[in-house]
Amino acid sequence: MAAGHKPLSELLDEMALKILMIEPGDLSIVGELLDLIEKLLPGRAAADIPMVVQQMAVAFKGALEKFIMGELADSAENYDLLGQCITEMQESVRKEGQPGEKILGQFCDNMKKIGFFLEPSTLLGPQGATAAGMGEPAHDTPVEKECAAASPRVDAGQIHAPASGLPSQEAIPDFLQDTDLLAGFIEEAFEHLESIEVNVLELEQSPDDMEIINNIFRPFHTIKGVSGFLNLKTINRLAHATENLLDDVRNGKRAMDSAVIDIVLTVGDALKSMVEDIKNVLQHGPANYKDTDISGFLASITQLQEGDNGAPPAEPVVAPALESLPEVVESEEAESQAGEEAEPVAPARAAIAKAARPVASPRAEAPASPASRPAADSGQKKIGASIKVDVEKLDALVNAVGELVIMQSLVRQNRLVSRIADPKLTKDFSQLTRITSELQRTAMSMRMVPIKQTFDKMIRLVRDLSKKSGKKVDLIMEGADTEIDRNMVDSIYDPLVHMMRNSVDHGISPPADREKVGKPETGTVFLRAYQKGGSMMIEIEDDGEGLNTQKIRKKAIERGLISESENLSDFELNNLIFLPGFSTADKITDVSGRGVGMDVVKKAVEKLRGKVEVQSQSGKGSLFMIRLPLTLAIIDGIIVRVGSERYIIPTIAIQESMHPERQNYSTVHGRGENLMVRGELVPIIRLYEKFGVESTYTDPCDAIVVVVENEGRRRALMVDELLGKEEVVIKNLGGLDVPGVAGGTILGDGRVGLILDLAGVMANTAD
Amino acid sequence: MEAASVAQNLGQGAELAGKYLTFSLGNEDYGVGILSVREIIGVMEITAVPHTPSYIKGVINLRGKVIPVLDLRLKFNMNHKEYDERTCIIVVEVQGQTAPVQVGMVVDSVAEVLNIAAGEIEPPPSLGSSSETENILGMAKVKGEVKILLDVDRVVGEGLLQQFAAQ
Repeated sequence: MAAGHKPLSELLDEMALKILMIEPGDLSIVGELLDLIEKLLPGRAAADIPMVVQQMAVAFKGALEKFIMGELADSAENYDLLGQCITEMQESVRKEGQPGEKILGQFCDNMKKIGFFLEPSTLLGPQGATAAGMGEPAHDTPVEKECAAASPRVDAGQIHAPASGLPSQEAIPDFLQDTDLLAGFIEEAFEHLESIEVNVLELEQSPDDMEIINNIFRPFHTIKGVSGFLNLKTINRLAHATENLLDDVRNGKRAMDSAVIDIVLTVGDALKSMVEDIKNVLQHGPANYKDTDISGFLASITQLQEGDNGAPPAEPVVAPALESLPEVVESEEAESQAGEEAEPVAPARAAIAKAARPVASPRAEAPASPASRPAADSGQKKIGASIKVDVEKLDALVNAVGELVIMQSLVRQNRLVSRIADPKLTKDFSQLTRITSELQRTAMSMRMVPIKQTFDKMIRLVRDLSKKSGKKVDLIMEGADTEIDRNMVDSIYDPLVHMMRNSVDHGISPPADREKVGKPETGTVFLRAYQKGGSMMIEIEDDGEGLNTQKIRKKAIERGLISESENLSDFELNNLIFLPGFSTADKITDVSGRGVGMDVVKKAVEKLRGKVEVQSQSGKGSLFMIRLPLTLAIIDGIIVRVGSERYIIPTIAIQESMHPERQNYSTVHGRGENLMVRGELVPIIRLYEKFGVESTYTDPCDAIVVVVENEGRRRALMVDELLGKEEVVIKNLGGLDVPGVAGGTILGDGRVGLILDLAGVMANTAD
Repeated sequence: MEAASVAQNLGQGAELAGKYLTFSLGNEDYGVGILSVREIIGVMEITAVPHTPSYIKGVINLRGKVIPVLDLRLKFNMNHKEYDERTCIIVVEVQGQTAPVQVGMVVDSVAEVLNIAAGEIEPPPSLGSSSETENILGMAKVKGEVKILLDVDRVVGEGLLQQFAAQ
């Protein structure tokens, strides 16, 4: 035995092992096999590998690729036959490359049974022509016999590996073995899928941009690799098939057209829901596992590939079949390949490397046109210099910093301390103040994330909507980097979707109608985010029809929301659409206007302590403005005094405050108190009565009233004094849940102040 | 029969044996399991919260955290007593609906931490149909004095969570 044969026989052992692991539907191992067999191919193999084994490897590879393409049945029987082929290759190696026609015949026979036609003469190559004629008799050899003989040898090859490989395949969600890795994968996969979506949509704008195609290809490749490693078979297959399709595009085998884009998007959605399923399994146990049927996707992908490529010839010839296979060349793999070739192949190490890096894919001998391809790693994701922190820890930090700020001011206001006339102390104090406020700002900013993620989802939405409705719509986004409280991201998504739908569905007219009024065929929707005076603004503007104030007026009167005689400005009329049950769209379409009006948006925004308004000009378009607090943790409030208690009223709800004048005050039946505020009767709520505290004033005309608005209702809250405006950190009351109180906060003197929940305060007053 | 009840007492006592923080309310002595006690603070300004039962005094700022405070005297329908320099707030942690919550209990004064053995604990007396005894784990006789061992989860849980669910 020549020394060079050792790695060869070990390679074959490894392959035999892999064959044992294959289960129908698991293409990832087929990919790994392909990786291994590559090393035996002519031109790549070590010089001392017998020619006949190399030829067998070529045939073997051809068969493997047909499995991946789905041309050969993905069945356990076929994999058994493949295993026998490996045995025959092992036999050939043992016989020093002189296997004789019996073994070769069996090899060809097994291949034939799989569905891969092969003549023994092919295996012998040009030099082996002498043996060609004698191939036939071997066909009669009973396969069973060979099978029986083969199995011990295969088993012998398995000794190196733990025997656990096989049984673990039996359990249904066998991917649950490594939940840590799986959790990491889920998170990663979502990120990748998100990036795929964004890139695909970008690609629609510039279909020829190779860089974008690569940016889509790469995440698919990663998902395929990692899912294969984690034994997520369906995900692996789907990602693999899509990757192949994209590779055809990369290689110029087919054009990037809307059909491809559509399939990539739908596959992205399907993968997302599959990953979601796995997340479910992880959280709620294996009973929730369900296997997604991906055959439909696979079929349409294959159809797309064949439609342009022409189906791979079904001829029993090896070489042409190879050429028609998709090429996947990745720099990453090329590098590792080079590395592995440079040193003597150490199978053990190779196996570890295999486990660690993504699974291989079909690959032809050489890249077809490497020069035309952009470097694949140019767009590689940078390793972000960020860490994940538990929200609770963050809250604790914010708490502590808030307390620090308060303590500092208490120390400073201490009677003795404030009497010290030491310039050094004054200087040090102001320095300390700077540091603590910097600390506070930093702590607060840690909760913030760019709104980009939410905005990016809108791209897809607008695309789908415009396709569905046959309208042409451009979405222009500005200020996607604007930061928003992490806790708000999820809550703002639904209202935004609703408004975007509204803009596309009701705002923008079909192209023909737009042309009639002299507008460009393509409508434009702007989505903007920016900060303005301590608030976060989100604007949605369209150049569509705008709101029809006459229609709104008519409807409002119909519904008894306003009276015939009421004279409202256009702005006021437009904002009536936020009232419950108000929808001006005449037709009910698939996308919006299902009876769910803009009041849902208003409610959602108000829940976030925000405000929504609309400005519109009939025929010109509409502008929806959402004003949100920068963070949910802090509320901008007016501190009021009622007797000895202090309450905080959210500034966003406050319309005005005043000393009521006697002539504006009126009662109904001597009880229901009202105040005439700018021509409108506003019920008065005596906060001291409501909260059962002693107050300084009992006559509203001595006191101060604060006019507040919540969910479209106005009330005048009677308080003793306005103490000031402050940004306060909202805290829960530690288990207490009281109507009318939204939470507590620590005021400047270290005491707790209660934040009013206006909905609760208003709730108990009879309307 | 007697033997059985003694055995039962012993069994119950063994479960309850351990360290208790003792405090006084009026002329009664009470004890709470040391494991639920977080800290003891002097009485501070309490912000009243509207729409709550009278024994809930309000909320305080515990180093940046807002926690409710209940007055045990009022909770047990005893006479109100002005707070003085001996008045303390015992901060205990109990299991809330979702997460553990900290709650302050106003007591007249805190005494000491006692190690109470199983043999010293007797089951709560039956005071007719009074629901008061539901809050009591047992009675401990230590050095001739009786300490009422409180079931903090019950006292606080009833005091806060259930009352509010009803409202």
